Amino acid sequence: MIAHARHWSVMVATLAGAAVACKKAPPPPPAAPPAVTFSVTGVTLGKAVAADRSVAQPLTTFGPKDTIYASVATVGSSTSATMAALWTFQTGQTVFADTQAIAPQGPAHTEFHISKPSGWPVGKYKVTISLDGAPAGAQDFEVHR
Amino acid sequence: MTKPDDPTPDFSDVEGGSSSSAPPPATRTYTVKAGDSLSKIAKQIYGDANKWRTIYQANTDKIKNPDLIHPGQVLTIPPA
Repeated sequence: MIAHARHWSVMVATLAGAAVACKKAPPPPPAAPPAVTFSVTGVTLGKAVAADRSVAQPLTTFGPKDTIYASVATVGSSTSATMAALWTFQTGQTVFADTQAIAPQGPAHTEFHISKPSGWPVGKYKVTISLDGAPAGAQDFEVHR
Repeated sequence: MTKPDDPTPDFSDVEGGSSSSAPPPATRTYTVKAGDSLSKIAKQIYGDANKWRTIYQANTDKIKNPDLIHPGQVLTIPPA
């Protein structure tokens, strides 16, 4: 009789333990987001760039005879990435398009520049930057007399 | 001549370029612009217009006639 009772108590304890074990089973860890290895951190306009291709004096207004530089700051690394700049006028008209293939191994600056010997029409412009075909940044600017 | 009142100004004489503090990939690409020729691209990239054949030979799948390339074409540019 005592052995029978012990048998039942062991079974109950085992089942209870199993139930507790089921309750305490940790949920599966959430899937880790994909690591961002290379991205654009900013687009700065100016009339000149330094040796590291950064703009020392940011501007958003230019004169008709200015050469306009867009310096794109990036972080991270890539064995091959294509950065593109699309310069457009206020009408949506394409002013100029250019690409630059890069393989950065850390923080870097990539510059795009445009000039128009006959003079820029007065108005509003935009430069749109894309990275491997995906939008990565944009900056508006104006040309005044 | 600046034409502030022209709703669709002419941007055909716009000149542009690009450069980076990052090194280029082992093989790079170049998007053909209006007015480009293989020798002009070779001059711009390699500093030697006579290297146009290097670009042509890397892109024979896209270029049938080396005297005829089209804006928007993406050419493979092999290392110099």
